[in-house]
Parts: sequence; C-alpha cells; structure tokens
Amino acid sequence: MKTKNILLSLLLVLCTSAFAQEAPKGDVLFKGGTVLTITNGALENTDVLVRDGKISRIGKGLRAPNGVETVDITGKFLMPGIIDAHSHIAGSAINEGTSQVTAEVSMEDVVDPYDVSIYRALAGGVTSIHLMHGSANVIGGQNETMKLRWGQTDPDMLRFEGAPRTIKFALGENPTRGARARGIQPQSRMGIEMMLRNSFSEAQEYEKRWKAYNASKDPKKVAPEYDLRMQTLVDILNGEVLVHCHSYRADEIYMLLKVFSDFNIPRLTFQHANEAYKVAPELAAFGATASVFADWWAYKLEVYYSTAYNAAILHENGVLTSINSDSGELIRHLFHEAAKTQKYGNLSDDEALAMITLNPAKQLGIDNRVGSIEVGKDADIAIFDNHPLSIYAVPQMTFVDGVKYFDINNDKADQRIYIDPESSIEEVTLFEKMDYNHRCMEGAAIFFGQNLINHQH
Amino acid sequence: MKSLRKLCLHAVLLLSMSVISLSSWAQSDPTGESPVTRTYALTNATVITKPGTELKETTVIIKDGLIQSVGKNASIPANAQVIDASELYVYAAFIDGMSNTGAKRPENPQRPQNLFTPDPPNFYAGITPENSVVEQLDVESSSIASLREAGFAISNTVPYGRMLPGSSALILLNDADHADDIIMKKDAALFAQWVGAPGAYPGNILGMMAKWRNLYRNAVQDKKHSELYAQNPAGMTRPENDRVSQAFFPVIAQQKPVMFNVDGVLDVRRAMRLRDDLGFPLIVAGVEQSWELADELKATNTPIFLSLDLPDEPKASDDEDKSEEMAAMEERRMEFYKIHVAQAAKLQEAGVNFGFAVGSVRSNSIWKNVQTYIDNGLSTDAALAALTTNPASILGISQVVGTVETGKLANVMVTTAPLFTKDAKVKMMFVDGDKYEYEVKERKKAANGGDNSSATTGDPVTGSWTYALITPQGDQGGKMVISKEGSNYSGYLTSDDGSPDTAMNNISFRDSELAFDFSIDAGGQSVQIVVVGTVTGKTYDATATVSFGGQDISMDLTATKDEQ
Repeated sequence: MKTKNILLSLLLVLCTSAFAQEAPKGDVLFKGGTVLTITNGALENTDVLVRDGKISRIGKGLRAPNGVETVDITGKFLMPGIIDAHSHIAGSAINEGTSQVTAEVSMEDVVDPYDVSIYRALAGGVTSIHLMHGSANVIGGQNETMKLRWGQTDPDMLRFEGAPRTIKFALGENPTRGARARGIQPQSRMGIEMMLRNSFSEAQEYEKRWKAYNASKDPKKVAPEYDLRMQTLVDILNGEVLVHCHSYRADEIYMLLKVFSDFNIPRLTFQHANEAYKVAPELAAFGATASVFADWWAYKLEVYYSTAYNAAILHENGVLTSINSDSGELIRHLFHEAAKTQKYGNLSDDEALAMITLNPAKQLGIDNRVGSIEVGKDADIAIFDNHPLSIYAVPQMTFVDGVKYFDINNDKADQRIYIDPESSIEEVTLFEKMDYNHRCMEGAAIFFGQNLINHQH
Repeated sequence: MKSLRKLCLHAVLLLSMSVISLSSWAQSDPTGESPVTRTYALTNATVITKPGTELKETTVIIKDGLIQSVGKNASIPANAQVIDASELYVYAAFIDGMSNTGAKRPENPQRPQNLFTPDPPNFYAGITPENSVVEQLDVESSSIASLREAGFAISNTVPYGRMLPGSSALILLNDADHADDIIMKKDAALFAQWVGAPGAYPGNILGMMAKWRNLYRNAVQDKKHSELYAQNPAGMTRPENDRVSQAFFPVIAQQKPVMFNVDGVLDVRRAMRLRDDLGFPLIVAGVEQSWELADELKATNTPIFLSLDLPDEPKASDDEDKSEEMAAMEERRMEFYKIHVAQAAKLQEAGVNFGFAVGSVRSNSIWKNVQTYIDNGLSTDAALAALTTNPASILGISQVVGTVETGKLANVMVTTAPLFTKDAKVKMMFVDGDKYEYEVKERKKAANGGDNSSATTGDPVTGSWTYALITPQGDQGGKMVISKEGSNYSGYLTSDDGSPDTAMNNISFRDSELAFDFSIDAGGQSVQIVVVGTVTGKTYDATATVSFGGQDISMDLTATKDEQ
C-alpha cells in the first residue's frame, strides 16, 4: 500500500515535470547601433550578439553565425529592457485585504498572462515587472517577479526563473483606513508598528517550536501545527524573502528601519517613499533602497510633502533608487520618468537610465541576470529610435531572452490573445466627427470608448 | 418544522420497508403507483451497447434493476412487460459529471460579528469539507425529473457552499421517498471551488490558494499523527478530532479525488498547480476554456468534465456604416466563439478522457449544446462516450454503468431516432430498473405565428427585462433574463459594458415582490448584492443593497419588461 502511494506520487512528479516547458530563447545579432550599457557607458556603432537568450558578445564588426538573424540598428539605440519594480498589471487579484497579516498569499498564484497591459508595457520597452500585492494590509502577500513573455498563456512561462521571493508591506493611511472603519488594530501608525513587531515575535516563537521538534529524538514527538503565514515571516527573518514596503512619510520610513534593525533583517526597499529624501542619510546607513515616482503626489494627505528631486537627492546620498510606474499607463513611458531626474537633479545618462534598469534589478535581486548590457546577462533588450532619455524617443523593438515580443513595424491593431465571445463591441467615437459644440473640449482630439481602454479578457 | 416531520415519516416508512421483504412491496400500495412488474423486455430494438457498437433487432431484458440480457434470441420471462421497440433505439443512460441536481441551496450563513480576522469561523469562510451533499438532498426537487427527461440516470451532485462545501455523491435520478433510496455512492469526490467568503478571509483566489496549502499540509501531519497514535497511543499527545483535517485523509491516501469546479482556464491551472504542489488526485469539472490545456490534461492524465454551458453565438452588427475596425473586432470575437465550441473536438483529438458537466445549464439546452459541439468537430461516438463510458470511468463506476451490457445497472435510455439526429427524442427512461415514459409530441405547430414557450407560461416575471442599476459611478444597464422550471426560477444579468453574465441566485417571487441576489468581483473580492423590489405590470422597482466592510450601501435598480 505504502509503496503504491510512493509510486503514485513519483509518477505524479514525473508526469508534471515531463510536461514542464522551458521559456523560448532566441539568437540574434544587433548590428551597428549605440549601445547604452549602463555599466560601461554608451558604445557607439557597436554590435551585440545574442546566443540562446544570453548576450554572448559586445563589439565592433561582429558577424552573424549561421542561421542567426541580423537586426540592423544603425542610428538606433539599444538599452537593457526596462524593469518596473512596482506594478499591478497581469494579476487576476491584487489584494487579499480581508485580514491585516496575509504573508502566506502569493501573487505567483494569480498571474494573468492574458492581460493586454503586458503588451502595452512591452511597447514601452519594459521586459520585467514586479507584480505586487496591494497595500490594503500591513503585511500583504508575496509578490512575483516576471518576464513579459507576451503570448505565452501558461503563467509559469512568465516567471522570472530564479528570482528571489519578495513580499509587500504597507504603512500609513491605506492599512489604517480599513482598520478604523472596522474598529480594530491598527488605528494609527503606532498600531502598525506594534502589529509588525508582534508578527515577527510570533514568527520567532513559531520557528522555535519547529526547531525543537526537528531536533527532538523522542519517537513520540508530534509536529507543531503548520502555519504558512508564520513560515513566511520566518523566511523574512532569515533573509530569504525581500521586503518591499509601501510608505510615504519620513517618520514611518524611519520607524520601519528601527523595526528591521531590531529583528536583524538586512534588506529592505521602500516603495513610493515620497518623503524618503528627508531621511536619505539614515536609509543609506541602513543600506535600505527606495523605489519612487518621478513626480507624482498629492493624491491623498500623506503624499503632499513631496518633491521631484526625491530620486536625485536619494541617489546623491548613496541610496540605491529606482523609478517605478504602479500604473498600466505610466509603465509605457518609464524612460520619460527616468529623464525627469536630469531636469530635477542633473543626473548623468547612465545614472538616469539605471533608475529604470540596473537599480530596480538590484532591488529585486536579479541584477546578476538583467539590468545592463554585459556579456553573460539575459538578452532582455529594448531598441529606441532616439536616445531613450530624449522626449522624441519611441520604442522600436523589445526582446526578452533574445526573443522579439514587440516590433513597432509589426504592431497589429488588436493584440488581445483572448476575447470573450459574449462581449459587446463599441464603436470608437471620434470627437471631431461627433459634436462641434463641445468647445470646452477643443484640442482634446480623440475620445476612446471605455471598452478600448479597459479590454477585458 | 414541516420538513423535520416529513423526515421522521420517511424514517418510519424506511423502517417498515426493511421489515417487509422487498419482493412483496407491491402488495400494499394504496397509491397504486407501484409498477405491476419490474421485468421488461424491449424487443427488436436497435441497441447501441456502447459508443461505436450497434446491434440490430435485439432484445434487452431488464429485471431486478439490472440488464439481464442483451441478445437476439433472449427468452422473455413470463412476468415481463413486453415493449415492442422495433422502431426504437436503446442507449446507456447519460451520466452527469457535476451539478447540484437534487440538492437544495441552504440559507446563506449568518454574518458573524468581527469578520476582519485572519481566521473567521469555518462555516462562514466556507471551509466545511466534512459535510456531504447528502444533507442537502431534497427528493422532491424538480431538477431530478427534468435531468432524467434529458436522458440522464446518474448525476454526480455537489453541495452548495463556498471554497470547500463538502463531498459530492452519485445519485440515481429516480423518484423516491427518501434520499437514501437514490444515493448510489456517497463521498464520490471532495468538492472544491474558487468561491471566497464575502468580506472575510479567504476573500479571493489569493487567500484560497494559501488556505488550501495550509489545510492540506496540516491534514498530512494530522493523518500521520493519528496513524501513529492508533498503533501505540501510550505516551503520545492525543490527536485532535479535527473534522476538517480528517476530511482530507482519504484524499491524501489517494482513495478519493478532489473535484474542482473551475470554469476559466486560469482557474483550471490553479487547481492543477495545487495538485502538482500537494499531490492529490484531481478531477476538473465545469470547464469552459479547455483548448489550451488539452495536451497538458493528457500528459498529466487529468480527467475533465467539460461544461455544457456554451456562449451565445455572437451576432455581428448589421449597421452598414460600421467601421472597418468594428468589423475586424467582430471577426475576432467570432474566432473565439469558434474556438469555444470546437474545444470538445480538440479534447477528443488529444485523447483526453473527458465527460460533460451539466452544471447550471437548463436541461432543455443540454442536447442543443452537445449538438453544437458535434457541429464543430466532435464525433458522435465521442459525444456518446463523453455522456456515458467516460464519466463512468472517471467516477469509478464503469463496472456497473455506462453501457448496455448484461449485468449492468438498468440505466437505459430509449429514443425515437438515433441520438444526435434531428428527430431523436427520449421515449423512455429506465433508472435503476424503474421505468419512466414520455409522451413524444410532434413538433408543435405555431397556432398564431409565435412559438415562444416562455410567453405561454403567463408568469409575470419570466422573460427578458431591460434593467438599469443606478450606481455612484453612473448607470449600469443590461438585460435581466428570468426563466422558470417547475417552481424554481433561474436567471442571469447581462451587462452592456461587455462584462460576462452574472447568475441571479435565490430568485423568489411572491405577492408581486421579486427578490434575488448576485455576486460581483470587486477588485478580486466576491461581493454579494441583494435586490428586493416590486413588480407592477411590466415595471420592476427595486433596491439593491451591498454589504461591504460592515456597511450597507443601497442603490436603485429599475427594470422594464421587454416586448415579446
């Protein structure tokens, strides 16, 4: 009976692993463009050879091996694919907001490969996103780092294989709003701190119980109750899960630094962090990093005290900083967002571009794979017609693992990969045609029907 | 109270039945409803013993609830009722892979105080795997007779509830006095679905996936603990009597499958992902999007019950001035309709073991929808297999049902013409050896041009309504379509913005008050909306109430009945 069970489970493993597929990898030679390496400046008139999804050579006069396609990028710009450290596209659900600590839930379970926002992001030169849990609760769920392999419909095919686990925390107004409405903890920022400390202390106790159980030689020992929630917190304490914390105000940012110091958790990224510039030296001393908006604020009280110099101040103070979108729209022009650090802070080209490539890669623990153009790294590449920090830049092509997923010259109108047969179709309305009396809308040339913007699969 | 009294009565009846021997049950039957004989001979029939095997001029003898013989030279028992079947076709009766047939929806659980906790009570969270659909069975449910009339003799009926409502049971679609009479197999599968608790953990797919892992992992530990304790309890902590955990034990032992009710492709993948992580035997059922999974289902040997709920065929706008873009979008929508209706053929081609799940499809649409799958590439043999032999093997009952062969249970369907042809109608059903006859009417000639069956019922609420829900974000409109079967209403709401249809639940109509509820997905969380209002002629004025975060929000909903 027992051997039968073992055989069965073995068979099951075999069956499933036999079916597990690998993500496609490509070979291509990019010929004659300006290569923006991020780590080694801009190399003019340079070729990049991609073999089996990896960058294999960077140099001049490279020749395409047999069967490898050459893409002429003369006069164009090649940069590492953009990485968005804060995104909520391509998820079937975002918040499990029914309880204040839901460390056990994971966005990897809810990846939605059919979301057409993936294609739109590719069309903005983005190759990887950090699909985050929402900010409804103090300890939200685990996030998922993804590669935008549009057209693959198995969610596993969009995983960034080998990327470290990360988790969402949230401070301030969002988690207290729900709790105040229900009359429970946390009512204030003080309550949030206590909830975090209590959760970590509980996790330490949980770990102790399991350590004692595993160490026990008693043949009558009984395993303690398994708790995925506590186990995830233990994994955070042991540095196996990187924390990305939704935050705005300097005081709450500083509070979390103290909590993490007390519990010896070494790595921490603050998301949004509009007031991070006020505690930049403290962040640098801790080694914490920040992922911020270029210039987006004042959408609620805790986000009023903000500046467009935030990223530059943090950077100058030695805080590793990235710029994110948190939006299905902003994600399409993160290169514009990065360029704002040159207007507000005079960052160099490499520094500005690192904000959307190498720096987010470091925050996600994937900088050994992506974030710069270096031999041995994944061929996640964006091609622009102008310098990506120019306002005239338009993305031309986007590659993930050397496979092309976006090409402006082959950009069919309807990119959806699933359409509900029972969906209704609305005619696109052009304002000019419709009504000349709307003088107040003059200049707003086109109005799209709701359906075109919010394609539902 | 009333039902309790009835139950007692049934128990008394059952007791007395077991005292009197079965053979003498026809002796005292004041109702006069018992058959004179339970022995039947269907003579000279065309018998399709199983998909692809047809016998001409063959006699089928049914006795003691079993198929006693199938052959040309059968000797007909003296007490047999002889039925001349020379113009008739005999098939194995159909088997439904998943529906709520015969089950009565229990009242929604009362909302407990303080739901905002990591571990709300199991009854509210919907974690009741220790329950069984048997407790929800109502032998008087009209769904049993109506599914039987569509050719089915067995339904794998699943309990109502949320994420883990309990175990399903195989029921025989017979008229019976007591639920025990129709239960063929209790505990057929542990039933699961992605239905979150309104406003409580686990509220959506995120929490449910995690909860599943946590429950299962602990059940594995508890099972081991219980087994060690059973061997030698001295000196060992006593295992808790955790009924939720215990409900998983046969699943962990690979003795009972988990049946996941999953319609969309991603929901199917999530069930398969849990299976891969945890290692339980899995059946996916009610699947509406299977075409991308055909090879994977085959490779992992995962049985599937395809939904019989098909999308309506999209209609292109007849506006002559429509834009090219609109025409292109209509074409793509049609492309996906075609993929939907061709998926059964795709599963057949991939060699997947599949059956059909009736789900909430109305029984008079079942044949039509199977026909649509056939019109789009499914072979008639494969269709018959998906309704008989495949579900029998998936549900582990092929030894006793699924074919017309000697020794099998007498679950037999008799039709007036070969199945899947235009004239085929069910003439007779045998369920567990009991005979039901149907009057086969000629196609009704429309008396006054109209042939709308719902219009003739004269029910003030059935039919199509145009509704408007006045929300703070603006009006939302669509159609509200209500139909009635027996005394039960069913219906759905369509949405003008192209969102998928929403089922109307718990529809009740009494003294011109129409009430129902429906659930919407608000940011991944299931939210229930209760609608109560008054019908006056062709108008419906109602209030829609949402309970969210402990607060009630009310909106107006008005509807006007469409002209027939």
